[in-house]
Amino acid sequence: MSGLFGSLSIALSGLSVSQQEMATTSNNVANASTPGYTREVTDIAAGDPIELGSLSLGTGVVLQKIESLRDPILQIQMNQATQQNSAFDASQTQMQQIQTQFASSTSGIGADISNFFNSLQQLSPDPSSLTLRQGVLTAANTMATDFNTAASSLQTQRSNIDLSVAQSVSQVNSLTAQIAGVDQQISALQSTNQAPGTLVDTQNNLILQLSGLIDVQVIPTDQGITLATSNGTALVSGSQSFALTTQETGGVQHIMAGAQDITSSLTGGSLAGLIQIRDQEIPSISGSLDQLAAGLANNLNAANAEGTDLENPPQPGGNIFATPKAGGVGAAATMTVTMTDPSLIAASSDGTTGSNGNLANLSAVATQPLGNEQTQTPIDFYSNLVSQVGSSTANTSADADSSSLILQQLQDENGSISGVSLNEEAANLIQYQTAYQAAAHVVSTVNLLLLDAVNLGMDEAES
Amino acid sequence: MRVNPNPMPDLLAALNQTQLEEQQAELQISTGKSVNVPSDNPVAAALLVENNDQATFTSGYLQSVSVVQDQLATASSTLGSITSALQQALSLGVEAGGGTLAASDLAGIANQLQGIQSQLVSLANTAYQGNYVFAGTKTSTAPFVVDAAAPDGSGVIYVGNADVNDVSIGSGYKIAVNVPGSQLFLAPGNSVFLAINNLIQAVQTNTGIGTAVNAVSAASSYLSAETVFYGNATDQTQSQTTYLNAAKLQISQQQNTLGAVDMAAAASNLTQAQTDSQAALAAIGKLSQNNLFDYLT
Repeated sequence: MSGLFGSLSIALSGLSVSQQEMATTSNNVANASTPGYTREVTDIAAGDPIELGSLSLGTGVVLQKIESLRDPILQIQMNQATQQNSAFDASQTQMQQIQTQFASSTSGIGADISNFFNSLQQLSPDPSSLTLRQGVLTAANTMATDFNTAASSLQTQRSNIDLSVAQSVSQVNSLTAQIAGVDQQISALQSTNQAPGTLVDTQNNLILQLSGLIDVQVIPTDQGITLATSNGTALVSGSQSFALTTQETGGVQHIMAGAQDITSSLTGGSLAGLIQIRDQEIPSISGSLDQLAAGLANNLNAANAEGTDLENPPQPGGNIFATPKAGGVGAAATMTVTMTDPSLIAASSDGTTGSNGNLANLSAVATQPLGNEQTQTPIDFYSNLVSQVGSSTANTSADADSSSLILQQLQDENGSISGVSLNEEAANLIQYQTAYQAAAHVVSTVNLLLLDAVNLGMDEAES
Repeated sequence: MRVNPNPMPDLLAALNQTQLEEQQAELQISTGKSVNVPSDNPVAAALLVENNDQATFTSGYLQSVSVVQDQLATASSTLGSITSALQQALSLGVEAGGGTLAASDLAGIANQLQGIQSQLVSLANTAYQGNYVFAGTKTSTAPFVVDAAAPDGSGVIYVGNADVNDVSIGSGYKIAVNVPGSQLFLAPGNSVFLAINNLIQAVQTNTGIGTAVNAVSAASSYLSAETVFYGNATDQTQSQTTYLNAAKLQISQQQNTLGAVDMAAAASNLTQAQTDSQAALAAIGKLSQNNLFDYLT
């Protein structure tokens, strides 16, 4: 293969490889900002030499492969970090919303409780005053209304989260179907020994998106990849995806993998964060509000029953509040002041209208344990709830911040391996252009030489 | 080492962070509060609820104290008028007991004494804002009813009761705010109304005036001693007012310590956050405006 034709063939291999290299660079540049795209590099090598006696003659350049640069371990770490970060982020957003109801110390339920007991205090020097008695009922109504509002806001938020859960599940299903579809394409290419190239990027990007929703583990197998949640539920197996379903249980959507309820076993992704708020935080806070509302209503009703009202003849005090259900379930949402006539407040302990003796019993509710296994006074119980909600929100925020830093660092690391650098591509382009020009020059030179050889110097003779 | 060619997400995250800090500082400055949501400081947020409770009650106690003081002042000044009337009755009794007056003069004195008796009944039936102050807790009806046939011979019947109202004027601090009229004016052995009624009869019959005068004098002394209750209660409410005002100040200072923003610090935080934010913006603005492609010709 030596000789001019040999040189021509070598120069052609240079042209061809340079073209492919430029195509690769061009593809990198075009995808510089494509999400999930990993930069491609060409792997070229010298062609196998031809041995001619003691001579070893080169045969040009060969493009071995076009390789996407990615670190699979980093990919797994990014998936995990995304799952964590998304869970905390989702929780944080919801907690921020919840805590606004507990934000003010001078309005809201806490202040209402203080104001209610203060209205009783104001009644005590002038217990027969209808104006002051009306003040007590007004304060009771304000308190009940704020309990209702808080409870219904929490319930509304819970319903909204429930909707998000259902939507997220359908997003999960759409993503797993896409991932399985891509996996089928990848398998088809691999079975014919073709490189899947950017399809893997597409798949990884879809898995990353899926990680934002649910905790998934990626298990590479011979038949493509398997995706499973951390409790082992398969979402994708090769080219097959398994859709999750939702089923209403106890008023909320539970997530089902086939017949298995995986709701409480999710540990990552925004679904885990949403479910944590929906099934743990909100019920816990609502439960506390119920305990508080039920305790106040029961204790104040009981205290009112110990005295007598302004009726003639005086009657034993009736209920101020509607009697809460046993155990207090739903007490905050349904707290109602049933007493409408202020003269029915049983301030008297001796049957006269001027006695304030029973107001002491009513006021004592403020300083006595709430009851129903709660040992704190109403205001202590409430302030403790405020502190719990605050701590919970602050912790979730801190978790969201730190997990976001971890994710950011992993993304940086990933970018340093897989990101397209325009400078690098430009430098490569110069190199490939120069190589192409040089090879073209060689072709041109060989062409001249061949002309000389074919014409046996006729040109020169003619001229 | 190859660097991440796309620093944009990092810069955006940094920008987001500085803008968050900026908002936080602005919120603190505009509200004057360092705790705007419980997560800003959960412990302080809880303490602020307690603090508001104390503030509400301290103001409430101050209001009650002021109402109680008015009630005590009414009772106290009424008792002062009753004591004056009794002094007047005593002078008349002494005059009648001198033994030198004509029967017609004695009749005139008896008339005057009856006038004082009516005045005493009226004073004992004093009401403050519609409530009879010497009726025990039966404040809706006038406690003393004139009845010549009253079994104890005092000429009046007490229709109030012997109950006492307590009012809280501080946390765990209660004071009694009234003395029942029966205890003040009809105390066995020191009954004001019995003494006056006896004096009238003594003057009318001109017998035993000296004894009757002594009884009025004793009843008057007893009443003066009982009046001390109102003085004491008033003193208690006054010192409690001083205490409550001091407590109110302290609670408000505590509220500041817990929840008020350090303006200087917040302003400096804001400036810092704005500077950081501008730096991040500038960095993004300058980012990769040039790369090698710009220099290829």
